[in-house]
Amino acid sequence: MATAQMHLQQAKPAGRGEPGTDLVRARAALRLLEVERSEEIPGVLLEEIVGLGFSRALYAEVDFESGQVRPSVSIGCSRQLQQRFVTSLYAADHPVVNVLRSLEPSLLENGPGPRRFYLYPLVFRSINPCWESQRESRPDCLAVENLQHPRGLRLPDQVCRICDMRGFGAVVAVDLGRQQPAAAIGPLRALMEVTNILLSRRFKVEHYFNRMREMDTAIGQLRMVMESMPDPVILTDNQHRVILQNRSAERFFKLPEQVSEGRARAVELNNLLFSAMLSSLAMGSTEASRDLTLIDAIEGEEAMFEAVSAPTLGGDGRRTGMITVMRDVGDLRRADQELRANYERLRATEEAARQERDRLGLIIETVGDPIVVCDQGARPVLMDRLAQRLLGPTDAAASDPATLQNRAKFDAYITAFSFSFTDRQSGKLQLYNPDSESEVEYDVRSGKIYDQRGQLAYTVSVLHDLTAVRKLEQLRLERRMLEIEKFAAIGRLAGTLAHEVNNPLEAIKNCAYLLQDRVQPDAQPVMEMLRSETGRVVRIVRQMLGLYRDSGQVGNVELNAVVEEVVQLYTQQLDRKRIRLESKLKPVPVLVGSSDQFRHVLSNLVVNAMDSMEPGGRLLMRTREVRAADGGRLARVLVADTGQGIPREMLESVFEPFVSTKGERGTGLGLWIVRSLVGNHGGKIRVRSRTGKGTVFKIDFPVVRP
Amino acid sequence: MTDTKKRILLVDDEPAVLLTYRMILEKQGYAVVGVPSARAAADALLQQRFDLLLSDLALEEVDSGLKLLESARQEHPDMACILLTGYLSSGIVEEAERRGITLLLKPTETSELLETVALKLRSAYEHQDPQPARP
Repeated sequence: MATAQMHLQQAKPAGRGEPGTDLVRARAALRLLEVERSEEIPGVLLEEIVGLGFSRALYAEVDFESGQVRPSVSIGCSRQLQQRFVTSLYAADHPVVNVLRSLEPSLLENGPGPRRFYLYPLVFRSINPCWESQRESRPDCLAVENLQHPRGLRLPDQVCRICDMRGFGAVVAVDLGRQQPAAAIGPLRALMEVTNILLSRRFKVEHYFNRMREMDTAIGQLRMVMESMPDPVILTDNQHRVILQNRSAERFFKLPEQVSEGRARAVELNNLLFSAMLSSLAMGSTEASRDLTLIDAIEGEEAMFEAVSAPTLGGDGRRTGMITVMRDVGDLRRADQELRANYERLRATEEAARQERDRLGLIIETVGDPIVVCDQGARPVLMDRLAQRLLGPTDAAASDPATLQNRAKFDAYITAFSFSFTDRQSGKLQLYNPDSESEVEYDVRSGKIYDQRGQLAYTVSVLHDLTAVRKLEQLRLERRMLEIEKFAAIGRLAGTLAHEVNNPLEAIKNCAYLLQDRVQPDAQPVMEMLRSETGRVVRIVRQMLGLYRDSGQVGNVELNAVVEEVVQLYTQQLDRKRIRLESKLKPVPVLVGSSDQFRHVLSNLVVNAMDSMEPGGRLLMRTREVRAADGGRLARVLVADTGQGIPREMLESVFEPFVSTKGERGTGLGLWIVRSLVGNHGGKIRVRSRTGKGTVFKIDFPVVRP
Repeated sequence: MTDTKKRILLVDDEPAVLLTYRMILEKQGYAVVGVPSARAAADALLQQRFDLLLSDLALEEVDSGLKLLESARQEHPDMACILLTGYLSSGIVEEAERRGITLLLKPTETSELLETVALKLRSAYEHQDPQPARP
């Protein structure tokens, strides 16, 4: 250790340029620089002090919590001595406190003995202000203030107003011993200054180190928050470059490890779209949102987002970038779309239904018959104009009694139908028709409409005014009756005539018979002619006689009874001719007409059959009910034989007058009469025949409704 | 008695018909008594025996031929009967069936008439119980 000559310079900081002090500074600085932690500095300092030739020194620290000052490191100091430097910042008058208050070194002359202490205050002071004050351009950083405008160490003040860093405070006390203050102080001062600078710097570094650690923790926590968000969150700088994004965002904006071309393109596209969106949003200064559709690079599907962006601001209020949160609105959007689609569909359906309804209404209105649609409770829901005339308005009650009565009758009918088990029903209703001011019989036809579950939904009823139909039927019947009458009259005439003629004819015939072998051979032909012509007349008369009786009476005719009668009439003759009779009679509806005429028809056919057959033939009579093509009921009679048949060329004209298969024996009138009689009753007769096989006559009589 | 001619009672109110039928039947070899009315026929039946009654259905009264037959049958239950009629009706047919009367439609075919007569007589003869002849 070199002990250079040192001059005491009172209250003057060690200047540079003095060789002794420079050396001291340099050496101390080097040692202090090597120090790793600020705690080591006091120790190093005291060593250096000792190195300067002093034997006793101590370092008293200020405890910022309690305000206590207490020696923390000492060299060569007894406990007693150390105790003298224990005090509190709030103490009234203590040399240490004074020094701290003034922040100026001082010389302490104390008590007995040649003890002189040099006291030097150490506080946080630096030329360079803290980073925060630089950023904010504020001059009142603690470090700088302590240096330039020392105000004494007062605890509340020792916190940097800008960066919140707490300063430190200490007093170094050196026992000058036998050295002269003037000489000793210089190097000491230099040492202290260097120590202060380095201590401050160290302190600052450690402060920032802690700060960084804290910030790091905070950043880690924030990052976790970001990652935990299911929505993509992206932090971008002012050039829209991504600074930070969470995992959800990476799905869209970051290329996966093994990537297909499609996916790479998807990510590229996403980034482009995102940038574009940011650019458009960057115009605004507050939070804004935009719809964005991206492609999920992993799933390959479209994802719809609502991007909500807000600018990020620095401490100085300037924009540093944007933070964007993407809200997945895919489901929302889809639901909305579906809702919209459903709504449209509903509207379309409604429209279609309305059109159908209109069309139905139109059809109903043009039908021309009263139509009533009722619901499952037999309440009318739809009525055309005509129905309303009869039954009153659909919803309201009718006012006049006639309509009310009509309605009551209809209700009874439709209620019964609605709750019945049949699908269709027809009936008759006697209703008062206000237009014709009369009671009209309506034929009601009703049907049921079922819903998807098979339950009754509606009944539809059509009312048909039967008077017109009735009138027509009546007319037809009357005409037929007239025909029957006419025929009967003619028949009666013919019959009467025949009857009158019959007896003389009988006599003539007999005479001819008697004469035939009395006549000379050359007159035989004449005789023959007489005989045959007489025979013809006989047969004509025979047929006429069948019409004789009062066959004009019209009434109910049981067809099967008539058939049986006729069969009975001819049984003897059939037996005589050894013709087998087969009759199969099924139930037929009652006909309206003249039983005599029916009988005549059948007799004629039976006789014809008999005449056409040889012994051993068969005669078949059949009756049954059939349905006509138009749905009407028919009574059918069949007379079939196994006789000689009718040649085909004659079949067409067989019903014409004076056409006969019996040659000279036939009158040719029989079938003509039969057809006329059948026609009287509105029936039809048909014949089928094959020569050598037989003949079938088929007659259909319509069933006239009573 | 088997060799004698069969006796036929012929009843018809038309003289010409009566005469000509009688002539025809006699020509055939039958013994014929012709009467113009039912009453006369009834008398004749009381007086003589006949094998066959051949009558028109309509005589002086409606269906009197049938009535005649009824009474005839009372006396001579086995006598063969043929009724001639212009038209058939179910009532007549039924009756005829019941009593075993043959109906023939007028105007008749002479051959048919003759056949029927022969048939009736033969069957009556075959079923006849031996009866003492009336005096």
